[in-house]
Amino acid sequence: MADAKTARAEWGTRFGFLMAMIGAMVGAGNIWRFPYVMGENGGGAFVLAFLVLLFLLAVPGLMAEVALGRYTNKGVIGAFRDVLGRGGLVGLGVIVLLVNIALMSYYSPLIGWTLYYAVHSLLFTFTATGFEAEAFMDAFFANSALMIGLHTVVMGTVAAVLLLGIRQGVERLVVYAVPALVIALAIMTIRGLTLPGASEGIAFTFGVQWGYLFEGSTWIAALGQALFSTGLGWGIALTVGSYLREYDDVPLGGGVFTAIGESSIGILAALAIFPVVFAVGVEPDAGAGLAFVSLVQVFPEIPLGGLVAVLFFLGFFLATFTSGVVITEVSVTTLTEETKYSRKQTVLGVCGLIWLLGIPSAYSVDILDYLDFVFGNWGLPLATLAIIGVIGWVLGPERLRLLAVNRNAGIYVGKWWDPVIKYVIPAVMIFIMAYFAWEDFGSPEMIGGMLVIVLFPIIGYGVMSVLEGRGGGPDAADVTGGDD
Amino acid sequence: MVLTAEVIGMLVFTLAAFWGLATWSLVRTMRQEGRKVEILEQQDRMDTYSPEALAELREWIQANPDDPLVDDARRRHNECIEALEETDRRFYDWSNEEIDRLERV
Repeated sequence: MADAKTARAEWGTRFGFLMAMIGAMVGAGNIWRFPYVMGENGGGAFVLAFLVLLFLLAVPGLMAEVALGRYTNKGVIGAFRDVLGRGGLVGLGVIVLLVNIALMSYYSPLIGWTLYYAVHSLLFTFTATGFEAEAFMDAFFANSALMIGLHTVVMGTVAAVLLLGIRQGVERLVVYAVPALVIALAIMTIRGLTLPGASEGIAFTFGVQWGYLFEGSTWIAALGQALFSTGLGWGIALTVGSYLREYDDVPLGGGVFTAIGESSIGILAALAIFPVVFAVGVEPDAGAGLAFVSLVQVFPEIPLGGLVAVLFFLGFFLATFTSGVVITEVSVTTLTEETKYSRKQTVLGVCGLIWLLGIPSAYSVDILDYLDFVFGNWGLPLATLAIIGVIGWVLGPERLRLLAVNRNAGIYVGKWWDPVIKYVIPAVMIFIMAYFAWEDFGSPEMIGGMLVIVLFPIIGYGVMSVLEGRGGGPDAADVTGGDD
Repeated sequence: MVLTAEVIGMLVFTLAAFWGLATWSLVRTMRQEGRKVEILEQQDRMDTYSPEALAELREWIQANPDDPLVDDARRRHNECIEALEETDRRFYDWSNEEIDRLERV
């Protein structure tokens, strides 16, 4: 992709763009968190709350983010500069960049976990005689050298894909990986549903406890899932949208399909996992406990369990790996545009930096957990606030809707969209950050989160003030000077 | 364990709401893409706004003549009208009467 400096790349096909969006947004959370959160929060009641919030927040928010990328045809920093004008405030884009790099630094070791389990599933380790799931996981997590090695392999592979460019690398990967993930989960679902006792898993996940609809915790859980699993405001949708072609639609593919499609994979994961777990009588769980202990204990107990393990862990690896590739692309795109370096040099630099920053998370699961909590609760909402805040309060949602969202659109987006972008999403993001700060008040995680909230904007503002040679006040921006 | 009607109902609703809608939007957007490609194989450009969206854009231009983005909005508005006037095949559901009534801004 040495041509990135002269002619901007584009998605080769519509399907490629759609799969890039899904591949980026479907990650570990859809597989090992969503099914459990759903079952623990009233099942069907949670589904209703989740669906409402998806349409209220995630669908409009993703439309806005993709549209900004498409309108400016630039990565995060360039897009912010187009809206804010040159100056320190472009540093809001730097916040998004920093959050993405931090996110990938601890996500890469996690991809390494899924890779390790995928390889062992292919070796049929989990169905071997005398295999102990918990001891296996503990030994794996205690082996820092292996963790760092896997992190290195993951970042090396991500770099290899990104070096091939948008069409030959990212698009070629996602058009096969995402359907493969869906097929793997579908086959596992069929296997699970045909087991005796599977109905208990269905009842756990889809049983309706209407009372949960009136509990705040259900809505908080649904809100977290709707915002974090769709990757809203992380710069991913903006970057993927910046590679759209002239006549491509934004709202139907970038908004509705992405939000609902990626959530559908979470639903499929619930159908794939819990019938199997309950059929064998293992306790349901979330996170590493579900994927690496509960499920691994299940595979030897079911007919064709070894093959089911292969399908699950290969699908799980693909889900995390495609997310990792597109998350890294956010930094690669914007730094290629903003610096004199070629795409190849930027890919190597960004992946090298992420590798270096990821070593502590690879070395210690505790560090990974800490960073996940800090960035999940405060870093990522801060990035979302930066992107949606700039669209809502500087560019103006009405302008973006008229100029980019409804242009070549597959569905018409009406005026209802404007206040959602301007008021509702920013208010929800501020609420989320305040809620988690209150919940974890005084904890090391909360202190880390506050540092991110204070330091990242200062760093961003300072860096861009220096780089753009100004004191910080936006000048002659293309689109500032009013709101709708 | 026998599943209750409520659980089965919720399962069906969830599948319809998520997989049904995701499949509908995927099929719809891919079909639209096919139509766009087909149109662009016959002509070098096509209409970029639906009648409703273009009318709203026109109203905004008239209501915000001093907006920093009004020139870009005008260009996009007029570009769509030119495409409608100079090409035979349209992507959106435009009638000839609607096109005749359109004016550049």
